[in-house]
Amino acid sequence: MKPLKPLSVAACDRQITCARFSPDGSVLAAGAIDGTVRRWRVGEKQLDPLPHLQGHHGWVCAVAFHPKEPRLFSADTWGQLRCQSFADDAPQTAWQLDTAHDGWLRQIAISPDGARLATCGRDQAVRVWTPEGKPVAEHRHTDDVFAVTVAPDGQHVIFGDRHGHLHAWDFAAKRIVRMFDATVLFKIDRIQDIGGLRALAFFGEGKLLLAAGTTPDKGATIQSTPTLLAFDFASGALRHTFRHGGVKDGFIEDLAVHPAGHLMAVTSGNPGEGRLLQFRPQEKEAFDSATQLPNCHAIALHPDARRFAIASTNRDSAGNGRRTDKEGAYPANSSPVSLFELPAPA
Amino acid sequence: MSRRHFLGASAGALALGGLLSRAAAEEMRKREKQVLFVWLDGGISQLESWDPKPNTTFGGPFRSIPTSVPGVHFSELMPRLAKQMHRLCVVRSLSTKDNAHSSGVERIQRGDPKTRGVPYPYFGSAVAKLMGAGASQLPPYVWIKPGSGGFKPEEAGFLGPKYGALAFGDGQPPENLLRHPSLTAEEDDERNELRARLNARFAAHRAPAFTEANSYVFDTARELMKRAEIFDTTKLPAADVERYGRHDLGQHLLIARRMLEAGVRFVKVTSYGWDTHGDNFNGHASLVPKFDQAFSAILEDLAATGQLDHTLVIAMSEFGRTPRVNGHAGRDHFPEAWSLAMAGCGVRKGVVVGETNEQGTWVKSDGYDIGSLFHTWFAALGIDSVGDEYENNGQPLPIAHEEMNPIKEALA
Repeated sequence: MKPLKPLSVAACDRQITCARFSPDGSVLAAGAIDGTVRRWRVGEKQLDPLPHLQGHHGWVCAVAFHPKEPRLFSADTWGQLRCQSFADDAPQTAWQLDTAHDGWLRQIAISPDGARLATCGRDQAVRVWTPEGKPVAEHRHTDDVFAVTVAPDGQHVIFGDRHGHLHAWDFAAKRIVRMFDATVLFKIDRIQDIGGLRALAFFGEGKLLLAAGTTPDKGATIQSTPTLLAFDFASGALRHTFRHGGVKDGFIEDLAVHPAGHLMAVTSGNPGEGRLLQFRPQEKEAFDSATQLPNCHAIALHPDARRFAIASTNRDSAGNGRRTDKEGAYPANSSPVSLFELPAPA
Repeated sequence: MSRRHFLGASAGALALGGLLSRAAAEEMRKREKQVLFVWLDGGISQLESWDPKPNTTFGGPFRSIPTSVPGVHFSELMPRLAKQMHRLCVVRSLSTKDNAHSSGVERIQRGDPKTRGVPYPYFGSAVAKLMGAGASQLPPYVWIKPGSGGFKPEEAGFLGPKYGALAFGDGQPPENLLRHPSLTAEEDDERNELRARLNARFAAHRAPAFTEANSYVFDTARELMKRAEIFDTTKLPAADVERYGRHDLGQHLLIARRMLEAGVRFVKVTSYGWDTHGDNFNGHASLVPKFDQAFSAILEDLAATGQLDHTLVIAMSEFGRTPRVNGHAGRDHFPEAWSLAMAGCGVRKGVVVGETNEQGTWVKSDGYDIGSLFHTWFAALGIDSVGDEYENNGQPLPIAHEEMNPIKEALA
């Protein structure tokens, strides 16, 4: 466990669920639980706040940048999907779909060429859209769909549900072409279905499909161990299982694939527990683990592959009863956003 | 009945082993009112159920939906119960004191009377004492729960073990309750005659409270034994089973419905696992729809048969959950401002009592502690919890918290 010293820390007075850098690296966008998209202008060593983007409801739970055009897509837990410019002080909304999903729209993924956008939600639907917001294809699943990604070929949408069933969907042919068994990420405890999947990604030139999240042990307070599964995408076979820490360490909440050939993942467990893990999926141990960041919910890797940002949670975020501040007010928790720099290769 | 009347009739009270007057007791026992008490152990979030605050600082990710009563909204996780709101009385202004499970469960289920050196009975034991088994002669206080079962005398407090709960672990009758198939009814009767003679010999040298309790529980359990079909969900129409849900809570509420139909006075159903300090929102997205399904099903059924008119139905926890979302995406314990739901005999229909502020952090109206709820429930059952008292070995004790009163706007 190494101390991790940020270049700078930007304040955010509400908790953040997700964060990504724009492809040109100039802006960091993050979704917050007050229905806003938070933005920062990215300096060499600091993040300078830009005005929030409004118009969402509930929680903003997904943000994604178009790889080639100046568009930011964002989604919320009431089902809205939006597209807007992002670099100005007063961005313009290109389009918005208030009911892209019925309720919690969980994730957005974009094909590498930017031609297709995939979304999934609690309404058990997976949808493909044009970047202009026109529907292309829909798959009606039979379970809450927790995560989605698009394969490097741009032809397959991979989605995973609460029970840990992953599916590769050829959306043009409208058929499921392959399934992956990630059910170790699911457990039913008493009457609670604990869905442990949090993120899907591709690794190693698209050869490995990664499913990150947790191996649940107990429900209610949730005791579970951060876990990553790596599947051979061509065959569907499970190739590697990576676990780190114990049941207090919770979930891998977010994942970034570093072009140097390793993964950067952040975790959130019991209040106060959080870490940055750097590891290779084929290895059993992380080659780096840093723990100074309580309850991390998002990691974003800058396009320069040198800097990265982590959204964590303020310390002392938990406690029973109505704990008030010195003024007698009941404060919300917050998410410090830390900007880091990876050490130069030796 | 007043305290003065109580003191004047102490001899009668003593003869009854706890009740103030024989007449009052008999009157209560004539009323075949029943209770269904649904306990969501650990603490359901009021914000993800009865008192949503969508699009506010602490409102969480979910939307709210309209109910069958204009102007009243529930969380989107309860679409079926939203259609039952016209039968419900929702109290959104609970403000209790204990934020720990270990003490909170006891405090809430005993009604938090002032400390008098004796443990007060849980609500089920109190009703068993004050209203008796009724004409059914079945155990007056039955508890359906996951896990182990058996007789739970500790819940009766100073009333004595006779009024404890008979727990059906995993919805099944206590082991060896049902007559073994190898025994004929005649053989069983002979066995019981022998048991009665041995009991009498044993009781001659023991404290009467315990031996009476033993006989009482055995006799009522025998009545239950004759009604073994109550627990046999295999004989239920599959549609009924599906309607309640195949999960524990659904099946246990279905058994509860059959217990109530058979005449059990008080049925408690417990669901564990609601203490969502972590991943609260996915947790409630899994838990609440199951509660929504099962609880709305039993409300519909009780209403359809007219049984709701004489059954008090309550659904609650030991506290609510914090508006603040902790770093583990959980909500912690929050007794300061939370909610419960009631329906059935004696309570108003289609009303919301009290309100919290816009953020759900404070009760805006009068806050009600559990003592007020106990008074309200007793009043709904026709028990005068203000005027009547218990008697415990010569010590008069209030039935409910003596500094609190029923919530008038909740009563029909």
